[in-house]
Amino acid sequence: MANDVLFLAEFAGGRAARSALELATGSAELAAAAGGQAVGLAYGAGAAAGAAALGAQGAARVIVLGGDDRPAITYAAALAAAVREADALALLAPATPNGRDLAAALVGLLDLPAFGPVRAARVADGTVETEQATLQGSVITTARPAEGADTPSIILVLPNTFTPTEGAAGSAEVIQAADAGDSPFGHAKVVESHQADARVANLDEATVIVAGGRGVGSEAGFGILRELAGVLGGAVGASRAAADAGWIAYQLQIGQTGKVVKPQLYLGAGISGAIQHRVGMQTAEHVVAINRDPDAPIGEFADLFVVGDLFQIVPALTEEIRRRKA
Amino acid sequence: MKIVVCIKQVPVTGAEKRYTDDLRLDRAGVEAIINPLDEYAIEQALRLVDSGAADSVTYLSMGPEQAAEALRRALAMGGDDAVLVTDPALAGADEWATALVLAAALDKLAPDVALMGMASDDARGSLVPGAVAAKRGLPLLSYGAELTLVEGAARIRRLSATGFDWIEAPLPVVATVTDQVGEPRYASLKGIMGAKRKTLESWSLADLGIDPASLRGAALTRVTDSRPPEQKPPTERIENMAAAEAATRIADWLAARKLI
Repeated sequence: MANDVLFLAEFAGGRAARSALELATGSAELAAAAGGQAVGLAYGAGAAAGAAALGAQGAARVIVLGGDDRPAITYAAALAAAVREADALALLAPATPNGRDLAAALVGLLDLPAFGPVRAARVADGTVETEQATLQGSVITTARPAEGADTPSIILVLPNTFTPTEGAAGSAEVIQAADAGDSPFGHAKVVESHQADARVANLDEATVIVAGGRGVGSEAGFGILRELAGVLGGAVGASRAAADAGWIAYQLQIGQTGKVVKPQLYLGAGISGAIQHRVGMQTAEHVVAINRDPDAPIGEFADLFVVGDLFQIVPALTEEIRRRKA
Repeated sequence: MKIVVCIKQVPVTGAEKRYTDDLRLDRAGVEAIINPLDEYAIEQALRLVDSGAADSVTYLSMGPEQAAEALRRALAMGGDDAVLVTDPALAGADEWATALVLAAALDKLAPDVALMGMASDDARGSLVPGAVAAKRGLPLLSYGAELTLVEGAARIRRLSATGFDWIEAPLPVVATVTDQVGEPRYASLKGIMGAKRKTLESWSLADLGIDPASLRGAALTRVTDSRPPEQKPPTERIENMAAAEAATRIADWLAARKLI
């Protein structure tokens, strides 16, 4: 019987993405419940050197698909071969563009059931059960594989669904994947690469996000948000309106067509909370909103709603937190 | 150069929605629209025709008979013809079954580029395009902020961690685009009238040579429960307060939750 739990471990710039640490931890939890082991499937720059360290989050083995900095989808054939070989109960993939592309390829190549993006996954009655917010968050659905569906179940997982184990020791056995040969997915290649702004933070890694919207008014207006994010140890994000206005990089856009984030704290300033933004942040643990408009939609779902001028309140809050930390 | 744009009819954004007793999305009585993110794929395809890079645009959708409405609306924006794959055996289809059926229809239409939106409004997996590419044995170019056609190949501009890349693959390809391709055009009155004369075909599973039994109930997953989200405690509000005082209150609130 399939008891192991696989996870995609993306590497970039020589180190494991936070999603890899989260999913290693999650896979170890699920595998423990299923009586199997957590097995990583690593790819990207730094994968070969960093694979063993995922043992600290509970991975027993890590199969390295490749360590090149090429489009993630080009690893699909090697991934499918490793998954076919593995006989696992489930595979956790990050709900990021790369994670979705690889998960989708597996669904099509191996005819596997797919779930997500989920906010919880567990082992129940020898199978996996997932929980998902659907229809723009208005319904929570629980789902399982259909009777007789093949394993592993492919599960897209939202960031911060699992908290990475820290401070543990452990080294995973590292295995080099067999060469999968030529595949159509391998034919996509980067022909030009442009570095726009090396300072752009990775929102997937942030546990605190300070986000700004139309109300921030200008590129300069984001300066006070950066200072607040700095004292909170977080990153700055934005609504589509702010990204479209050119005040901030598209990499920092949160929402339906940007990042889906699940930080411990989301603090939105000058963001009205339109449905397209909401679906990108509604699973945050704590939501604080600062807005001049007492009727802004975000006031209906924030945990704390502060009606007022963000240009006064945000600097005052930065100062207050700095004072308390001193 | 032929483009097929795959579109999905979805309930209007923000509409009251619920699940039926057999845990399927109840689509009856809810206003339906073209999935808003698919309109960007339509726009991208029509721009490629406008610039002379592509010759024709066909729309493909899978859904109930009412989904023909979405195809007519797309035809009113531009493009040449449309195909609706509809079959009672497809009710409740999941992403796997949808991909299998779309792939079979695309095999028949044989476009150079099968183009889709980056996600659908009502189901957020974004798994159909990659699964279609897998089924058809084609490269996938996903999340393009722009799609261009060059000699024998397609290219997308895709955001990277700190900038963007141009990614290329030889035709034919499956591609998806984001909302950065440019605002979708409105249908003109002339377009709406003209759409009525464009060909809209309806294909069944039999027309695609798919045995309904091979679809295994049209889903490899099953929803076992649906419920409203947890009731959060009511929003705490801070109003009519000087900035310094409001800041102290926010800091207290964060400290009480160990967030600072």
